[in-house]
Amino acid sequence: MYRYDEFDAAFVRERTAQFSDQVNRRLAGEINEDQFRPLRLMNGLYLQLHAYMLRIAVPYGTLASRQLRMLAHIARKYDRGYGHFTTRQNIQFNWPKLRDIPEILADLASVEMHAIQTSGNCIRNITTDQFAGAAADEIVDPRPVAEILRQWSSLHPEFSYLPRKFKIAMSGGPHDRAAIRFHDIGLQAKVDDRGIVGWEVWVGGGLGRTPMIAKRINEYVPNEHLLAYLESILRVYNRYGRRDNKYKARIKILVHETGIDKIRDEVAEEFRAIANGVLTLPQAEVDRIGAYFAAPEFERVNATVDVAKERIAEPAYGEWLDRNLHPHRQPGYASVTISLKPIGGAPGDATAEQMEAVADLAERYSFDELRVTHEQNLVLPHVRVSDLREVYDALVEARLATGNAGLITDMITCPGMDFCALATARSIPIAQEISRKFSAPERQKEIGDLKIKISGCINACGHHHVGHIGILGLEKKGVENYQITIGGNATEDASVGDTLGHGFAAEEVPDAIERLIDTYIARRETPDEPFIAAFKRLGEAPFKEALYGNG
Amino acid sequence: MAMASLAFAPPKHDKLRALGIMALNGMFDEMDGVAVLRQAVADLLPGDIAIVSSFGADSSVLLHMVAEVDRALPVYFLETGKHFAETLAYVETLKAHLGLSNIRWLRPDPKDIARFDPRGDLWETDPDSCCHIRKTEPLDAELTGYGGWITGRKRYQTSERGVLPHFELTSDDRIKVNPLAYFSDTDVNAYKVAHGLPEHPLFAKGYKSIGCAPCTTIVAEGEDPRAGRWRGLNKKECGIHFDFNGAIAKPVATVEKNLFRDGAFIADPFRAWSEGDDLASVRYTHIPLKLFLENRDAVLGNPHPNGLLVSPGDRIEDAAADLGRFASIAVSFPGFNDGRGYSTARLIAERYRYQGELRAVGDVLMDQVPLMRRCGITAFVVTHAATRKALESGHLTTVNLFYQPVGVTEVPVGTRPFLRRAAEAETV
Amino acid sequence: MEILTGNELMSGATVYLDRDGNWVEDLQRARVFLKEETEVRDAAIAATKKTLRINSLEIEAVTLRDGLILPDRIRERIRADGPTAPRFDRQHLDRDGHVSI
Repeated sequence: MYRYDEFDAAFVRERTAQFSDQVNRRLAGEINEDQFRPLRLMNGLYLQLHAYMLRIAVPYGTLASRQLRMLAHIARKYDRGYGHFTTRQNIQFNWPKLRDIPEILADLASVEMHAIQTSGNCIRNITTDQFAGAAADEIVDPRPVAEILRQWSSLHPEFSYLPRKFKIAMSGGPHDRAAIRFHDIGLQAKVDDRGIVGWEVWVGGGLGRTPMIAKRINEYVPNEHLLAYLESILRVYNRYGRRDNKYKARIKILVHETGIDKIRDEVAEEFRAIANGVLTLPQAEVDRIGAYFAAPEFERVNATVDVAKERIAEPAYGEWLDRNLHPHRQPGYASVTISLKPIGGAPGDATAEQMEAVADLAERYSFDELRVTHEQNLVLPHVRVSDLREVYDALVEARLATGNAGLITDMITCPGMDFCALATARSIPIAQEISRKFSAPERQKEIGDLKIKISGCINACGHHHVGHIGILGLEKKGVENYQITIGGNATEDASVGDTLGHGFAAEEVPDAIERLIDTYIARRETPDEPFIAAFKRLGEAPFKEALYGNG
Repeated sequence: MAMASLAFAPPKHDKLRALGIMALNGMFDEMDGVAVLRQAVADLLPGDIAIVSSFGADSSVLLHMVAEVDRALPVYFLETGKHFAETLAYVETLKAHLGLSNIRWLRPDPKDIARFDPRGDLWETDPDSCCHIRKTEPLDAELTGYGGWITGRKRYQTSERGVLPHFELTSDDRIKVNPLAYFSDTDVNAYKVAHGLPEHPLFAKGYKSIGCAPCTTIVAEGEDPRAGRWRGLNKKECGIHFDFNGAIAKPVATVEKNLFRDGAFIADPFRAWSEGDDLASVRYTHIPLKLFLENRDAVLGNPHPNGLLVSPGDRIEDAAADLGRFASIAVSFPGFNDGRGYSTARLIAERYRYQGELRAVGDVLMDQVPLMRRCGITAFVVTHAATRKALESGHLTTVNLFYQPVGVTEVPVGTRPFLRRAAEAETV
Repeated sequence: MEILTGNELMSGATVYLDRDGNWVEDLQRARVFLKEETEVRDAAIAATKKTLRINSLEIEAVTLRDGLILPDRIRERIRADGPTAPRFDRQHLDRDGHVSI
């Protein structure tokens, strides 16, 4: 994976010193909160309901074990012994003190990490497929280009005060595990007719109060022109994106109001003016960065594991094997998902001890590498099949062996009103109740692939619009109320879920979900037909009836 | 008389002393400049007073009075290096004619000139600073040795001087004596004729108020005589007259030095566009882009130096061909979090290769200044106190390592990856 | 009835303005402003803003029940007590967290 050179290290050091100075000026009263807020936000520091929250970037979701150990150290020393992994592959701490932030940032810098641009109206952490570089179905590992984009977007002087935040996601292949159609810019690897890898560019996707599926702005942009092309998009957005209303300031609204064809023309015109200039990306640079991401020295092994047999011997292990492995491009290896969704737990939370346990596993079994997924889990990308049992046993020890990846209890959940200053309802308790209701492994297995996504407000950090079942918490006359949507999909078959009727009180939600599930199971063609496919085939009617009765 | 002792009063603004000076103002006939002068030189500040003369169109009158009272009185002449040759000749003419025996020439510090005005065009961009290094600085050093000084200022000269008295107490406790306070243009001319005084060679050519050559133009018939000085600039007093006290004429040119450029705060020669300005004749004004586009011909026909104001939402493309016409382009940041100006600035600097002053106006704060610089902005109009302090002290906390090639000044460093630039030494 | 609440600068902790002009942790010590006390309330807001030490300053509607202050919004009840799931103690002020007007 990428290693800082002196330049990167000095950059982060200077940025840390700069923010320390800004913190000191704030503490000394030289700047007021209005002036300080955008500065702290651009360094990942929020003020939430109970305390500050520091969001630390995990660029394209890749971590080394020493980095995860440092996160554990920070959790223990400056926070309350745990951290929360987010839907943008970052981690956030909920209890730091303002005066400790400079020290935390210095600690992070010592392991080549930072909190730069994890908030604010700038280009945020660039996310990718969590199996990048490991997945069997990938065209190219998107991380070298993601790293180049990280550098290009870091403290970009022109794009530090955009109309609104700006999120870029990349997928290295046609199977989209990074929700690229719901990002401001989505990049999907594509091979042209000469066999050269480039990027299909999507623009104007997003969730929030106006969910939109991105539109394709360019079918193919080769690496050499990618930066110039993205800079052109950003410039058009910076100049013409709406600033009069923060709810209409994302690029999706500009694209929607202006029309994709006109935006495409404007971007093309801008691109013509800057193409073949300083932003042209030499192949040598792509190769140089690419070398950092070269595949590790895999052993030539052909070990396989008989999941059915293991299941008979030990159902929990068998279930874990069945759900938490992803096919690896190297025979004899697998990518292991470490679920942060224990039954009844807070989705995405990990204690310092758990982080250290995972770091140890990464070091011993996965070439020192780990990933954070946008579904708030961790991944050991390169595990020898022959090591799976040892890994599993260690995970059991760390209480991280839940075999529920992709199942109904593997929910995306935002922090909601237990932590978030913007939230209008709690999310975590809802997730906990659903998790408990469907805790039985047989029941989960019976249901199969199902994505429930929960947001505690209209801003949709929990991606509820693209959940097969989405839950949106709102406040109605002083009471939390939950709307249920159905039919959303964040993959290449992107769709936005529909609300079928009125909302539910918190305690009614698990039962309502169960009625939807029962309907699905009763109406599916075969046990192999997933929920989302059955919904597509059946339409809303039976599900509406399940929720609200007949008529 | 009790007044004499006032000269020895503690150097502090004492009410009695102020009242004494005020009282002096009623004691002399309005037109009796010589008596005023004699009171000052012989009684109020013996051996402790001097005169500064510009040797301009009206200087002969006051110098004649000085000669009447004391030919050996120190007469300072500011040799700014920018005078008309005629003025330098006129110094010698009057010296001989009046028998002045103690004319002292003051010259600016060559180090100041080398540092602030190496090309000799400071007068054009920043007349206040030009006056400062050529007049205020050399004179201040001398005048601290005197308890008071004599000026040739007159009430009629400009509206700001309407209430000028014979005697003034300055804020640093010196006395300014204005023997000609009540003289009108006619009185001056009558005095010259009555005493057969030689004229400044340029007076006959229409110059009524003569200062340094670049900043003096001919005054039209009926125009305020000082209108010819610093014409077009919002500046009416030069630095050496700044030091007024209390109710007495407050100079307009207490222009705040809020333009940060080339490492220092200077007085801004430009002003903002205001309602009712005439596009064809304004000078040193930032004309809004929209107005310019609507009245392109009128603006291009305007012979004076002007600027262009670009606001968020403006399409700078539409004026691309004419940018070179403007001496300064102001990019507006109405709120520090409105980042449109960054794109505008890059287009102006990088795409249109604009060479003039590119300045940021509006909500200009220290944490954004480094970004503005990277986008090509070279000057900043600053009102925020902490930002001002930071710029003055050069203490801007920023990250000087750049990942992106942006702007026209950033240079690649050695073998760094292609994208990276480190800042050259802070140049602005 | 209303109370004033915010987050203290250093710790970010939830605090309330009490009757003596101190910003304190305990909701039950909060000064309750009556309808006719908007001027006093606004003066307190202005004085607080001047300290630059209290962020996210808000006016919250409350009800008195059995002598206890009960915020009308659930959000405020969560702010007063800490997160409900997982259950965590609220943030506390540090020694240098005292702010008064």
